[in-house]
Amino acid sequence: MELKYYIIRRLLVLIPTIIGLLLLTFILLRAIPVNDLIANYVNQKATPAEKALEKQQAITLLGLGQPLPVQFFTYLTDVANGNLGNMYSAYYNGGVLRGIELFLPVTLEIAIFTVIFSVLISIPLGTFIGSRPNSVSDSVGRVFSLIFYAMPIFWLALMLQYAFGKNLLFLGSYGLPINGQGFPIQQVGFVHNHTGYSYSVPTHMLFIDAVLNLDFPLAVVAFEHLILPVLTLSMTVLAGLLRFIRAGMVDTSNQEYIKTARAKGVPEKLVLKRHIRKNALLPSVTVIGLLVAGLLGGAVVVEDIFQITGLGRLSLAAITGTSGNGANIQFFGVAGTVLFFGLILMLTNLIVDIVYAFLDPRIRY
Amino acid sequence: MIVEESKTEKKKNLKPYVEVKDLVTQFFTSRGIVKALDKVSFSVYPGEIYGLVGESGCGKSVTSTSVMDLIPDPPGRIISGEIYIDGFNIIADLNKMARIKIKSETDVRIRRYKKAIKRHNNVLSKIRGDKIAMIFQEPFLALNPTMTIGDQIMEVIMLHNISSISNSILRRENISSGEVRNFITEFYSINDETQKRKEVNNFAASYAIQEFEESILSLLATSDDKQYIENEILNMVRENRTGMNIQNIREIKGYFDLQNDIFQNTLRLLQAERNGDSSAIKQFNSELSKLKRIEASSFFLLRLKLKFAYKYVMKEYRKEARRRTLELLTLVNIAGPEVVIDSYPHELSGGMQQRAMIAMSLASNPRMLIADEPTTALDVTTQAQILEIIKDLNKLIGMAVLFITHDLAVIAETCNRVGVMYAGNIVEESSTIEIFNDPKHPYTVGLMSSVPRADKKREKEIKLETIPGTVPNLITPPSGCRFHPRCKFAMDICSLKKPKLVEISERHKVACFLYSDESEVE
Ligand code: SF4
Repeated sequence: MELKYYIIRRLLVLIPTIIGLLLLTFILLRAIPVNDLIANYVNQKATPAEKALEKQQAITLLGLGQPLPVQFFTYLTDVANGNLGNMYSAYYNGGVLRGIELFLPVTLEIAIFTVIFSVLISIPLGTFIGSRPNSVSDSVGRVFSLIFYAMPIFWLALMLQYAFGKNLLFLGSYGLPINGQGFPIQQVGFVHNHTGYSYSVPTHMLFIDAVLNLDFPLAVVAFEHLILPVLTLSMTVLAGLLRFIRAGMVDTSNQEYIKTARAKGVPEKLVLKRHIRKNALLPSVTVIGLLVAGLLGGAVVVEDIFQITGLGRLSLAAITGTSGNGANIQFFGVAGTVLFFGLILMLTNLIVDIVYAFLDPRIRY
Repeated sequence: MIVEESKTEKKKNLKPYVEVKDLVTQFFTSRGIVKALDKVSFSVYPGEIYGLVGESGCGKSVTSTSVMDLIPDPPGRIISGEIYIDGFNIIADLNKMARIKIKSETDVRIRRYKKAIKRHNNVLSKIRGDKIAMIFQEPFLALNPTMTIGDQIMEVIMLHNISSISNSILRRENISSGEVRNFITEFYSINDETQKRKEVNNFAASYAIQEFEESILSLLATSDDKQYIENEILNMVRENRTGMNIQNIREIKGYFDLQNDIFQNTLRLLQAERNGDSSAIKQFNSELSKLKRIEASSFFLLRLKLKFAYKYVMKEYRKEARRRTLELLTLVNIAGPEVVIDSYPHELSGGMQQRAMIAMSLASNPRMLIADEPTTALDVTTQAQILEIIKDLNKLIGMAVLFITHDLAVIAETCNRVGVMYAGNIVEESSTIEIFNDPKHPYTVGLMSSVPRADKKREKEIKLETIPGTVPNLITPPSGCRFHPRCKFAMDICSLKKPKLVEISERHKVACFLYSDESEVE
């Protein structure tokens, strides 16, 4: 089948998936005790009569009195209009969608570098150790990848912070500052949002913006702040990928068609490059997709440890809510970020599937 | 049949194309050493179809893979023996490549010498596919799933045939009327129709103008005017000139010719090293380094280009290779070669895949084909077609075939000579007719009586017999004659000594103490 039709079909499958995801977040939103949600709208210091009135008002406002299907429909229209509700937390107050928009680039920057770094390291390394199974280098590689694969991210993050942060203070231990204070800013333009934070333009990713604006001193600093978080996240991704590529190499080497290639007189080097490596790397494309999912989970932990104000921290903040006696879980914040994480996952899977189909002709059926 | 007899008659004076002597191949597994081949010897002569037959697990496939040293290592290795391909012993350096220390059955240490193995592989990569090609049992598994059929076939051509493509391109660009006239007179001097076609085919191939083959044939059929034909052909060729960069072609040709020189020199060096001829070693070594210097100095730029823009630099060759590929696909009766060439293996049926495999094996004009159970995985009608193709190739191009199968019917239909294998030994070898009519070795006799035969119907009772017992475990094979536990005629000596494969009548060899008391020296 043509690739075109495959992509169209794959896009059609996306529609029920999205509806399913929306249903899930909706259920999540309604599954938590409604009283907690309503409590957000009630002034705790008011008299009981006033409280009852405010409660009633909140129920009408949130549409909680209506039957569930109607509520779901309202939720759908809200999402379609980009209205994900508001949240109040230590890091961000305001519309959830706007919050995601502002915090996403920071996480995205880390994720991009993590993926690039792990892919760049794991492919040559995996090919190398996979082409000589059971050799010394293979055993060493396997042991290390197993260790890093099994290592909890938070522990690794803390250890790295402890090991490097003490001597090299700027290496991420202070967090990635998005207000740019104390940095040799020359040309990067910053915009302020209404809560007073500054964001670099045009991509909101500090390092990339600095490079784009040719502000290299800032770029260096921004890069340094990326090193530890990226290293932490990379280790797990890299280890997983490495193991997978190695297994793929070994598996492919034992295939009949590799024997055919040798029987054809293809020199060893080309057998490795043209026949083994290509086929071995194909399944890893899928794994990269899965690892990106893990990356999002890891981002929450890593951002918290390195004090990076990104999407992970936003979702964490939504859960803890504003500090003080009004500490309340921010329902809309949680539902919004969960929805967004889900969408990102779906998107990566879509991309992975299409890339895979593009690379492997057998998939297009 | 009489024709075949006379053919074998001639073979007596021929040199074998492949000669295998005392081949021992073993697999080192965690359960012990599998003695898969135990001193297997046979020869395949140019133009014949040699069949290897036996039960599954008797080592016939191991034999076929050993011939080109394709045994996967680990776990397997060729331990000793000689394999001459076109006169060159490919495994003379076994001891230099690895040292095997056997402490116990399950504890075997192999020390591999990377440098020697690398050189061995380099030499073999020039021999595999070029001198001998191979097709496999399951074409679906044997084709690379992510490469198009065309790319896989072209790969072979681009590996082995660059020089011949260069020559034909250069010849096409400089074609002279004299050459065409020569061809025409040659053509008219032949009377046989198929020979005529062959002549035209050769002509078209050597000038890389295969697409004109049909028009040249019809031209020759319709007109008698030699002058007219000559002009027409010349026009055809000249119009086809693409104005390609001849300088470029020359340079590439030069590079690949040099590569070939280096290879030939390496072979000579290897030979000298085997003979222990120190002065020759010195001479070839210095020649080799001289050639390598030339390679480094005058082809530096080209090599760089080849490394990073291979497809672009070689685009004229690829075009030519593609054309040859189409031709090959037509040759093996693939319908719609233009579509198939760009298809992936999974888009073809099993029979088509096997045809594509055959086309691939023919790509570099090898003089021998190893067919490892090529029809086992196919349905019966396709089987017959594939056999037909292999037989045709054998007849038309005179390609020798080493045919591995467990199917006696297939053997009867295709092979000139048969070797019967049992548990890693060739127990009997003879012409096909003799094997079927007058089997000698008890195992062969049992094998023959286990298949129904049309020509033996007259006997009142057709009794199909089975050979009692099972195929022995090759980790602990029976001592002496490996067949003795199952043999009706087993004698005392059978379990003590291993019978030698000896000629008991003309071209009929048997390894059994019933016929000769010669035994293998241990
Ligand atoms: S050598 Fe002995 S055991 Fe072997 S086949 Fe001949 S008779 Fe039977």
